[in-house]
Amino acid sequence: MYNLDRKLMTTGIALVLSSSLLYGGFFGGDDKSVVPGTYVSTMGAVDGGVIYPRKDGVTGPYRYNEQSTAGINHGRVPTANEIKAWDMDIMPDGTGLPEGEGSVDEGDELYEAQCASCHGEFGAGGRGYPTLTGGNQEKLPNGVIKTLTNQRTVPGLDAPKRTIGTYWPKASTLIWYIRDAMPYAHPKSLTNNEIYAMTAYLLANNNITIDGETMEGDYVLNREKFLKIKMPNEDGFYPNIDGPDGAENVRKFFSDRAKNIGAGTRCMKDCKDPGMDNKEATVMIIGNEITDVVPGYTTDRDLPPEMDDGVVSKAEKMYNESCKLCHATDQMGAPAVGDVAAWRKVTEKGFEKVVLNAIDGIGGMPPKGGFENYTNSDVKTIVEFMIESSKEIH
Amino acid sequence: MDNTLITKELNSISRRDFFKKTASVSAVAAAAIMAPSTVLADDENIMHHTKWGTTLGDELNKFPYGVPSKYEHNVVRRTSSLMSSAGDMHAAVSMCPLHEIQGIIVPNGLHFTRTHNGVAHIDPNKYRLMIHGLVDKPIVLTLDELKKYPSESRIHFLECPSNGAGEWKGPQFNSLQFVKGMMSASEWTGVRLKTILDELGLKPTAKWMLAEGSDGSEMGRSVPIDKVLDDAMIVWGQNGEALRPEQGYPVRLFLPGWEANLCVKWLKRLEFSDKPWYAKEETSKYTVLTASGKAIQHFYALEVNSIITSPCPEKPWDDLIVGELVEIEGIAWSGHGTITNVDLSFDGGKNWIEANLKGLVLPKAWTKFSYMYKYEGKPLLLSSRAVDDSKNVQPTVNQEKAIIGVEGVYHRNSICTWSVNEKGEVNNVQLRS
Repeated sequence: MYNLDRKLMTTGIALVLSSSLLYGGFFGGDDKSVVPGTYVSTMGAVDGGVIYPRKDGVTGPYRYNEQSTAGINHGRVPTANEIKAWDMDIMPDGTGLPEGEGSVDEGDELYEAQCASCHGEFGAGGRGYPTLTGGNQEKLPNGVIKTLTNQRTVPGLDAPKRTIGTYWPKASTLIWYIRDAMPYAHPKSLTNNEIYAMTAYLLANNNITIDGETMEGDYVLNREKFLKIKMPNEDGFYPNIDGPDGAENVRKFFSDRAKNIGAGTRCMKDCKDPGMDNKEATVMIIGNEITDVVPGYTTDRDLPPEMDDGVVSKAEKMYNESCKLCHATDQMGAPAVGDVAAWRKVTEKGFEKVVLNAIDGIGGMPPKGGFENYTNSDVKTIVEFMIESSKEIH
Repeated sequence: MDNTLITKELNSISRRDFFKKTASVSAVAAAAIMAPSTVLADDENIMHHTKWGTTLGDELNKFPYGVPSKYEHNVVRRTSSLMSSAGDMHAAVSMCPLHEIQGIIVPNGLHFTRTHNGVAHIDPNKYRLMIHGLVDKPIVLTLDELKKYPSESRIHFLECPSNGAGEWKGPQFNSLQFVKGMMSASEWTGVRLKTILDELGLKPTAKWMLAEGSDGSEMGRSVPIDKVLDDAMIVWGQNGEALRPEQGYPVRLFLPGWEANLCVKWLKRLEFSDKPWYAKEETSKYTVLTASGKAIQHFYALEVNSIITSPCPEKPWDDLIVGELVEIEGIAWSGHGTITNVDLSFDGGKNWIEANLKGLVLPKAWTKFSYMYKYEGKPLLLSSRAVDDSKNVQPTVNQEKAIIGVEGVYHRNSICTWSVNEKGEVNNVQLRS
């Protein structure tokens, strides 16, 4: 274990120490900032970087086989059905957007059953998983969403809220992601009508209007209406990637990196580095050190603790695959496995009752935690494992 | 007493043993005043036969797939619940122990890992890769068919653009592993994407490629055609063996120098179009919100960067003797090209000297730097600053903040500074205003 200078690690806001570094002007320019590389390189890549040409069997430091590969004919042509089965993306222009419909209310019901346990009531977050709604969409005169300009330069200020309503540029992203990747533990399980309902619910809770119409509970979203959606922060991103010049815009943007993404200067002597309001730079030490790391920090070279052959029980395996989603910590409102006090309280009801609660669902937890394929006996085994893992170690 | 002679003799025993024996007496004082006989007790490790020298070792086939010495069990990836949702390790990140990595290649078991819906386990016999859209001939390939293409091998780093994301507002972690461990480096083997596309015939209207994974999150990203035709690869090999499941077994996209998130794992499908897709991970995430309230999108390459790996908080200088020569070592990298120079500062960025590059200096790869330093036992503010052949110089914290602000999350590449105190302990600090 290495030693930290705890005396310096005062908790609270980040401390500013020593002002022995006096800065008062910008770094001077320096001819040494450009030093020839080892290889012949060509600027002009789309990311602003270097292209290493492939010539005479050599590219950069590598050699390659320059024989022709023309005529290679591996694999086969996919069938139309195969392409249709996998080509499930949805683009902003409606390419891939399925037929279907669903109302805000239907989405509400689905959301409560399948999403709220992670994303919070009405998408408001607070359970550790992404916040989907909320944030002020009010715009500045230049069209920028005002709260996205929030900068937490000192502690206590509000963060910019990057929710669907304040941040996401396209609604197609939302319905596509719901179809492909949600619900988190059962992706690709929703029907087309359900993905419209869920999208409608989330858009309604983000105060999105379609064609001037507010999305009330009975509002039914379908393909036609979906294509009319304009997201509040659609113009909040740069460089412009749309249209035939999209990639060229990107190239132009990244070719001036000093201006657009920030770059340094190669000063070697008596360098100055002024920051905000031309204030001198000072040494900022860690304010609130994050020490919650697993496994804990150590650089010891010793023998590992005894292990039970590394065998993981079936109960633990099932627990890891399902219950752990909510029970790993108490942030989801569920008693955290390993929390002795919390589980002592749970088991006060008696083992049978705890198992029955797990089977029937309790509080925010759906029956069997939403894993209906588990048998009652599976659930019992898992509960045993969770209780065993939460006992005081003597 | 001849101090030189004592120093020489001291070098013959373990430094740490020496410190244990001399307890709180300072090293310099100890060397000067203590009689050699007190200090130089015979080393038990030399005076007695060892257990391993007097017994039979393991049978050589005990581990058909080799494992590290059990004494290395603390050299592991580490996680923090801060880098997950509510402690859920299905959508989280684990950090590479950079302080223990030797050279410019990371062992596969220590490669940093980021997943969005857990680590998928793909049956290679059921694996299919589909390439379609604006190509003359769409194809579907089995793994064996894919591997029939001529392969190339490249040494490249792979970095999550969130590497260091926690520290836009100030230092948070006192650990190299957590300050910069969201990256690793490997030799990757696969087929250049252009080799396949030459055969399929890309239509002139194809400007963008969607890469999609087959895990639960169906990770999707849009890639501009320039990169696809330059150095993009479809890889199945990592450091001489198959990709690890955490790295996308059996196949991932590899875009040298670009965001690891773009190097889609468990690759399932490549589609070509005239338009970008606006996938979730290129809109709601992996966009850099600046102080203007607008966000930079399609921010592909990881910019020029460097970090001192020795000393570091995990590997302090608390066992050094004043006057001792010690190597300062570190790694520099750039997704824009090849590292040309690395500078070091001992005084918090006022004055800089050039370090030496060592070993292989490859494009879009880790490059080691080295500087021999005579330890003075005085407090230092130790920083490194890298330069690459795309004319990039690593910015100061203030220079980066001036353009991006403090809410960008991604692509933080400003200069890192370790504070070394008079005891040789090393702490993570930032020079900023």
